[in-house]
Amino acid sequence: MSVTMRALLNSPWVFHLATGSCNNCDIEILDCLTPRFDIERFGMKLAGSIRHADVLLVTGSCNRKSMVRVKDIYNEHVPKPCVVVAVGECAMSRGMFVHSYNCPLPLDSYIPVDVYIPGCPPKPEAIMAGVVKLIAKLKETL
Amino acid sequence: MNRDAVLQALQDKFREQILDYFDKSPARVYIEINPEALVPAASYIFKDLGARFHIASGVDARRHLEILYHFSIERLNLLISLRVKLERENPRVDSLARIIKGANWIEREIYELLGIEFTGHPDLRRLLLADEWPEGVYPLRRDYKEWDKNAIRDRGV
Repeated sequence: MSVTMRALLNSPWVFHLATGSCNNCDIEILDCLTPRFDIERFGMKLAGSIRHADVLLVTGSCNRKSMVRVKDIYNEHVPKPCVVVAVGECAMSRGMFVHSYNCPLPLDSYIPVDVYIPGCPPKPEAIMAGVVKLIAKLKETL
Repeated sequence: MNRDAVLQALQDKFREQILDYFDKSPARVYIEINPEALVPAASYIFKDLGARFHIASGVDARRHLEILYHFSIERLNLLISLRVKLERENPRVDSLARIIKGANWIEREIYELLGIEFTGHPDLRRLLLADEWPEGVYPLRRDYKEWDKNAIRDRGV
């Protein structure tokens, strides 16, 4: 594992990318940043720009138009190494939109996904548990 | 004018063109109108009665396609839904976008999702569907079939 990855794990900056979600997952993610859950104690904070981010956090059902942008962001704009986290049922398997004409494929057939956090929406505890497990797993590989 | 006077004037003006009139509740009236008279009727409701155009909704009702144009007159607390029924083969109706600017985008959306042609629309292009979407496939029609061979419709468990 590279030096960049070792540095990244101490303070992963997260870019929050909503690909057409109903905003419930987005609300729970913002809830993680409130003093009650305070995800900044793990060094995580939301980055304003994708170019400053180490973690790409994707919510929402993967529709035809937004996935063009997601692929573009992942392939061109994110500095590597980058960890992709799929939050919520929609980003994992499209949830109730699995038969929708506009959502042909799940997220992991477009870009490689490292962590899946299930729930509709997942509780802030579940999101933090998922991210902490990811950090622990990546640290083992160092 | 109160509610009854407004509705009576509307019925008197378009007596031959109104095919069905359904007074559902004090706040809601459905009027089915001949598609030829849609533009004068909508223009009368919008301009002369001072109504607000909310939205149009297109429905595939199996035997026909229909569009509901929802207008509200707020001082009367009244919602008027103008309904036009169109046949399934080659559905076509006059556009309201020339007299109501707000109807422009919703007509484009109905055009791409249900395949209803709006004659006289200033800019009838697709609005929301992806670029690779094939021509002549309308996803909100009841006879819509999956065209994308790569689509996965299970959850992988």
